[in-house]
Amino acid sequence: MEEDIDGDLADIEALNYDDLDSVAKLQKTQRYIDIMQKVEDALGKGSDFSNQGMVLEDDPEYQLIVDCNVLSVDIENEIVIIHNFIRDKYRLKFPELESLVHHPIDYARVVKKIGNETDLTLVDLEGLLPSAIIMVVSVTASTTSGKPLPEDVLQKTIDACDRALVLDAAKKKVLDFVESRMGYIAPNLSTVVGSAVAAKLMGTAGGLSALAKMPACNVQLLGAKKKTLAGFSTATSQFRVGYIEQTEIFQTTPPALRSRACRLLASKATLAARIDSTRGDPSGNGGRSLKEEIHKKIEKWQEPPPAKQPKPLPVPDSEPKKKRGGRRLRKMKERYAITDMRKLANRMQFGVPEESSLGDGLGEGYGMLGQAGSGKLRVSVGQSKLAAKVAKKFKEKRYGSSGATSGLTSSLAFTPVQGIELTNPQAHAHQLGSGTQSTYFSETGTFSKIRRT
Amino acid sequence: MSYLLPTLTRKKEVDTIVRDTIDKVLVLRFGLAVDAVCLQLDDILAKTARELSKFGAVALVDVDSEDVQVYVKYFDITLIPSTVFFFNAHHMKMDSGTADHTKWVGAFHEKQDFIDVVEAIFRGAMKGKLILNCPLPPERIPKYQLLYKDV
Repeated sequence: MEEDIDGDLADIEALNYDDLDSVAKLQKTQRYIDIMQKVEDALGKGSDFSNQGMVLEDDPEYQLIVDCNVLSVDIENEIVIIHNFIRDKYRLKFPELESLVHHPIDYARVVKKIGNETDLTLVDLEGLLPSAIIMVVSVTASTTSGKPLPEDVLQKTIDACDRALVLDAAKKKVLDFVESRMGYIAPNLSTVVGSAVAAKLMGTAGGLSALAKMPACNVQLLGAKKKTLAGFSTATSQFRVGYIEQTEIFQTTPPALRSRACRLLASKATLAARIDSTRGDPSGNGGRSLKEEIHKKIEKWQEPPPAKQPKPLPVPDSEPKKKRGGRRLRKMKERYAITDMRKLANRMQFGVPEESSLGDGLGEGYGMLGQAGSGKLRVSVGQSKLAAKVAKKFKEKRYGSSGATSGLTSSLAFTPVQGIELTNPQAHAHQLGSGTQSTYFSETGTFSKIRRT
Repeated sequence: MSYLLPTLTRKKEVDTIVRDTIDKVLVLRFGLAVDAVCLQLDDILAKTARELSKFGAVALVDVDSEDVQVYVKYFDITLIPSTVFFFNAHHMKMDSGTADHTKWVGAFHEKQDFIDVVEAIFRGAMKGKLILNCPLPPERIPKYQLLYKDV
């Protein structure tokens, strides 16, 4: 491990490098060769479950599997380094390719296929890439600013591609081996998510204990691919699913429930991994019960909601009416309030007989209407309460000014019937309160006494 | 229709139901299960029984059974279907513009009519009245001729 890290550091310092071997050293290490040899043997031997009795840590196979996990991570890093190398070399020929094809192995394959070719119509990329990307690649290649590579550079690039592909194949072998042993290493996890996915998860996490230490939200994202846009809309892209997407349970849930199922699976898988990392349940029962739980939950989500029963009517008068208040309601009520005219008509003065509509006590009585002495049944309109407040504010505002009122204001009131009536329009109909002019209940009154302390 | 509502055939059953329905209007329909008008009324009763369940209860009395003839005689039931209203074991009378206030003769035009009648009875009964006016307009009240004996 140390030599790889040193190699990386050296790589960052010396950006110009010509030789792949100075950068990508993994394939030459003894460790790698040893482990690959063992994996080949073990794959050839087939699964061997006779050593169940032994403690796991002493089992050489388990050690091999742990090594395989570490190795797969190393291979991953190595592939990235080689990808960078290829990219740098190929940039002179086809710079845009690196932004179109993200995956390092796909990039390596495409580079190998295209080689030094300028005309992409002669190159068949079928099967390497999705068709839409092939189209984009072809179009970009026709307008690319790159030039064909010199022969030796090309050779080195093709070598690097080969190396990348070999590493990829080795990684696949390692993963296959781990997968075949998965039922022995982590029975609970394999029951929950399936052995292939379990192997991949373990490989990416770097071991079973590393996987167990991860929170479930991270486990959900292990193996999530970055979005390759290429002009496609993101509306249909699967959001935030990694290797979990490949589990059987996930594939069998309806699309509407998939994101919830993914979260559920990730959390239960983490639990299973934790059981396995401590070898708490070698028989795999924990994993089975977790799987049952997941199935049950997904079933429950798919149930239709309970049928709606018609509600019985409420008991009459049991719920008190919600009374509203406020300015709007008061204004509405004003339209139906008893007017001053009606109030006057309802009352009578003591000792004074009222007039009536048909005369002589017949018909509707007029009460105190028309008894102000003017001999007519007209009452000046008293202002409504709300309007009174507004008028008062308005008065204060107006007479608060310097008093320079317009000389054209007059106190004449024009009535439609009798022409000009000389009445004071600011006098309210005070016949009602003629007894005591108390301002206790006045609508426009202010506080009578404010003691300032 | 009539299998959704409880059908009473014994005097004891009628007694218990009148006594035990507390704070709810009890609607007793006297009639036969085979008569056409009865069936119409039963249909409306069955459909509204759940909606009125909070302040009303509905039951059917078979007018043909011998045990119940006491009540048939007591309420003077001659035309079927006849509906009698009770509240807390008090007999509620309703003036619908017809001659007989003690019961409702005939079917209702609509579910809403029946609900209105039951609500009016409930309100009146909660206020303590024993006789009320019918809330329905006269054109929605089925008319019938009372035949007096020997007249």
